Amino acid sequence: MHKKTGPLFYVFLFVFVFVVMFPFLWMLITSIKPLTELFGDKAFTPYTSHPTLENYVSVFTKHPFLHYQWNSLVVASITTIYTVFVASFAAYAIARLKFKGKTIILGTVLAVSMFPQIATISPIYMFLKNAGLTNSYLGLIIPYTTFSLPLSIWLLVSFFRKIPFDLEEAAKIDGASMWQTYWKVILPLAGPGIFTTSILVFIGAWNEFLFSLTINTADKFKTVPVGIAMFQGQYTIPWGEISAATVVVTVPLVILVLIFQRRIVSGLTSGSVKE
Amino acid sequence: MHSNLEKPDKKLGPSVVDVQLNQKQIKKKKLSERSAGYLLIFPSMLLILVVAIWPVLQSFYLSLFDLKLNDPTKSTVHLNYSFDLERYLNSAPFLISSIDQEIQSGHHVDELTKVKTQINQFDAVLQKDPDIKKSYQTVNDKLMDFKSISDDEALIPIDKKLSEQYQNMTHQVQQELKDVTKKAKLEQEDKISGLANGLNDALIKSNFVGLQHYKENLSSPRTWLAIWNTLFFTVVSVAFELVIGLAIALLINKAFFGRGLIRASILIPWAIPTAVSALMWKFLYDGQNGIVAYLFEKVGLVDKMSDLLTTNTGAMFSVIFTDVWKTTPYMALLLLAGLLTIPSSLYEAAAIDGANKWQQFIKITLPLLKSSLLVALLFRTLDAFRVFDLIFVLTGGGPANSTETISILAYKVMFSQTNFGNGSSLSVIVFVCVAIISIIYIKLLGADLIQDSNKK
Repeated sequence: MHKKTGPLFYVFLFVFVFVVMFPFLWMLITSIKPLTELFGDKAFTPYTSHPTLENYVSVFTKHPFLHYQWNSLVVASITTIYTVFVASFAAYAIARLKFKGKTIILGTVLAVSMFPQIATISPIYMFLKNAGLTNSYLGLIIPYTTFSLPLSIWLLVSFFRKIPFDLEEAAKIDGASMWQTYWKVILPLAGPGIFTTSILVFIGAWNEFLFSLTINTADKFKTVPVGIAMFQGQYTIPWGEISAATVVVTVPLVILVLIFQRRIVSGLTSGSVKE
Repeated sequence: MHSNLEKPDKKLGPSVVDVQLNQKQIKKKKLSERSAGYLLIFPSMLLILVVAIWPVLQSFYLSLFDLKLNDPTKSTVHLNYSFDLERYLNSAPFLISSIDQEIQSGHHVDELTKVKTQINQFDAVLQKDPDIKKSYQTVNDKLMDFKSISDDEALIPIDKKLSEQYQNMTHQVQQELKDVTKKAKLEQEDKISGLANGLNDALIKSNFVGLQHYKENLSSPRTWLAIWNTLFFTVVSVAFELVIGLAIALLINKAFFGRGLIRASILIPWAIPTAVSALMWKFLYDGQNGIVAYLFEKVGLVDKMSDLLTTNTGAMFSVIFTDVWKTTPYMALLLLAGLLTIPSSLYEAAAIDGANKWQQFIKITLPLLKSSLLVALLFRTLDAFRVFDLIFVLTGGGPANSTETISILAYKVMFSQTNFGNGSSLSVIVFVCVAIISIIYIKLLGADLIQDSNKK
C-alpha cells in the first residue's frame, strides 16, 4: 500500500475504464441517433446533431418489452427468495453444526454448481412439457434451482462461518434453543451475507438464457435476455431499437452495481479466497 | 477426573450417576445437533437431487434411445415392443370392409379372401389374450363413440413373438395387395393401399439403441470440430483473461483515488446479461456499420470490415475478444482479492534483502496467489467450456460451423432437429468433459476448496 501512483497510472486507469465502458457508451450514442444516421458514414460519428427518442418509444410500443422485464422480475425474485430461504438452513447446518459427511455434502454442492446446463436440459424440458409447465413462470423457477441453490448454499456457508462462535456459545449458555439461536443471533448477523447472496442469485437468474430460450417460447413468458436476442429478424436487424433496449436493460443494473458494489465484490470473492 | 469417578463421594464430588447423566445429556445434545443438521440440509439436498443430479442421470438414460419429439412413435422411451390399438383399430376394420366391397364387386375374389383371412387370423390371435381383449374392447368402444383415447389406454405391451407375427402379417398383406393391383385395377385402390400401410404404424418398436449415438457422434467430423472449437475457445480466452486480469490486478493493487469507480466499471460487464452484451458486440462488429470493425480495419487488424463475422478465423476471434472483454475484469477482481491477502511485510522484507520486483513476483506473489489463481481458473475454464449464450447470439455457431461449440451443437440437435436422444448424448459428452476438467483442477488444488475452515 506504499506504492506511488504517478500520472501514468491514472492514464492507464482512464484507458481501462474507457475500454470497458466503450460498448455501453456507443450503444447510448446509437440509441439516440435517428434511423438515417445508423448507416453509412454517419454510423461512425461519436455524436449526433439530431438526437431523438424514437428508438426508445418503439422499444416499448412495438415490442412487449415491459412485459419481458416483468417476467424477468417475477421469475428472478421468486427464484431468489425461495432458494436463499431453503439454502440458509442448509448453510447454517454446514457452517455451524457438527455432523458427519459435511465435506461430501459441500463437495456435492460445489460439483452441482459446476454442472453445465446443457447436460440437464433434455430431461427437464421433457418433464416440463409433459407436465404442461412450458410457457409458465414455474417452468423457469424449477430449472433455475439447479444453479441458484448450490450458489446460495456455497456463498451462505462462507458468510455464516465468519460469524464469531462466541456469540452463539453465549446464547446457548443463556439457555437459548438451537432455533432461537438461529433466529435471534445468527440471522441478524448474517443479514448482510444473505443480502449479498440474494443480489448474486438475482443477477444470475435475471441473466439466464438457455432454459428461458427453450422452455418459454411464447412471447408472453419470455424474459429480457431472450426477448432482446429475438429482436433480430431473419433479414434485418433493428439496431436502433436494440441499442435503446440495451440501454434500458443496462441502466438499472448499473445503478444496482453502483449501490451494492462492495457487497457484490465480497460475494464474488468469498469462497475463492482463504482468510 | 477418572480417579474421582472411581471413588465416588456424594458430599464432595459429583456422583457416578450424576456424571453419567451429564454424559448422557452431552451425548443427547450431540445426537440432537447431528439430527438437526441432517434435518436442516435435507430440503436443499432433496432439491439438488431432484432438479440437478437426477436430470443428469436421466440425460444419460435418454441418450441410449432414439428419441425424436416430432415423431409420435419415438417421442417417449420404449424399452419393449408395444402395440397401438388406436392406430390398429383405425386401419384394420376399414381395410377389411374395403376388401369386402371389392370382393362383392367380384374383383380377384380368391386373392382378396386370402388377404382378409390373414388379417382376421391375426385379430383372433390378438384377442386371445384376455388382457389385450379387454383393452381392445375399451378402445374400440371409445372409437365408436368418437371419444379421445389416452396413450395409456391405446398402448399395450406385446411380446416379441406377437410383434414378429404382426410384422409378417402386414408384410404379406401389403405384398399380396401389390400383386393384385399389378394385375388389374381395383375400385378403391388408393384407399386400400393407404390402410394397409397404416397397419405399420400400430407396432411401436423399442427405440433403445444403446451406445449408438455415442458411436455416431464420436465418428462424426462435426462433433470433433465442435469439441475442437470449444477447447480452442476455452484455452485461448481463459489464457488471455488470466494474463491481462493478473496484470490489471497487480496494477490496481494499491491505494489510489477512484477505486470505487474502477470497481464499478469492472462489475458492469459482468452484471450485464451475456445475451445482451453479445448483441451489443454484434452491432460493434457489424460489417457495414460496426465501429469496432471499422477501427480494426483502420488499424490493419482485419483486411475488410466484413471479415470479422463472415470468415472462420474472424468469427472465432470476435467471440474470444468479446469473452475477454466481458470476463477479464471479473478475473482481475478475483485475483485482486487474492493479492490483498498477501501481507505487505513480506514484500518489505524481500526488498530489504535486495530482491527486485520480478523476484518478488516469482517468489512471493505467485506461490501465495496459487490457490486464488487456481480457483479463478477453475470457475472460468468451466464457464468458458459450457459457453452458450455468447456464441448463440453473436454468431449462431457460424459461419460454416466455425464457432459451433459442443453446447451449441447439442442445442441444435435437440431443439432444431428435435432429436433428443442424440442431443442428450452430446450433452453427456459436455458433462463428462466438465467432470474431467474439474477433477484435474481439484487434484491441483487439493482439498483446499471445500475444506472446513472451522477445523483450522
